Amino acid sequence: MGNGDRFVYVTFIRTTPEKLWYALTKPEFTRKYWFGSSLDSTWGPGASWQLKTPDGGLTDSGKVVEIDRPRRLVLSWKHERFPEMRDDENASATFELEPQGDVVKFTVTHESDKKDSKLIKGVSGGWPIILASLKSLLETGDSIERTRSFPKGI
Amino acid sequence: MSEGDRFVYVTYIRTTPEKLWDALIKPEFTRQYWAGTWQESEWTKGASWRIMIPDGRVGDSGKVLEIDPPRLLVLSWRNEFVPEMRAEGYSRATFRLEQQGDVMKLSLTHEIDKKGSKLIEAVSGGWPMILASLKSLLETGESLEATRKWPEGI
Repeated sequence: MGNGDRFVYVTFIRTTPEKLWYALTKPEFTRKYWFGSSLDSTWGPGASWQLKTPDGGLTDSGKVVEIDRPRRLVLSWKHERFPEMRDDENASATFELEPQGDVVKFTVTHESDKKDSKLIKGVSGGWPIILASLKSLLETGDSIERTRSFPKGI
Repeated sequence: MSEGDRFVYVTYIRTTPEKLWDALIKPEFTRQYWAGTWQESEWTKGASWRIMIPDGRVGDSGKVLEIDPPRLLVLSWRNEFVPEMRAEGYSRATFRLEQQGDVMKLSLTHEIDKKGSKLIEAVSGGWPMILASLKSLLETGESLEATRKWPEGI
């Protein structure tokens, strides 16, 4: 995917790889920091996954391309909600968890084979607050307030 | 500076504008999350500015290009302790602070008007950990351990 668009975000969270993995793959956790959305899958290689809003609407879906708990997760990623972001047929998100002392280095890479991808532009605006809220949740027990529900009017 | 290299990072911190501003410029805070370093400046427009390394070396220096507490800080920025980075001359770091509900949105842009910059490559590796540690410090009272001291051998 070297010629398409890519968004990379790195953060460091004071937690364990197991807790971070759990927070990433369990709907009861994702609802707290991912704008109320549930990320759900059986999390086996090749399994399908869905990201759904609190009212059950499908926003994104795909397959589990690689899974190496609690170190690495690669998802193929198809957006389902906004028409202008749905024509990205070959996008993926890679989550890498690496323990470093008292923290886990967490790297999220969201990439497409398209240039000027509306999907990558869209997620570039969303990931920073989702990941900041995830860090707050794991370090303080409380996520960022506005990430707990789906934004009105979208 | 649109033809050069640029690093952009956005995070969200549960704190007040004043506390975030103080944490960005006051030595007693920066020592805790910025590799033991502190900044010296009068913090007025046009004032000189520098980062001090605990062993007495100057890390980076420049001028305060714009300052509007607690919303905007723009610094000219030249590395002083790595000859090949120092030779690149002045870059520019822009910190924007914006209150959004219970959190502050902190946007950092570090840019230079040349391609293939070693300085921007280096700060791209450093800023995510420094800013993650700043967020931990303000939200939990404790910075990330690895950021409390200058790294050995650098």
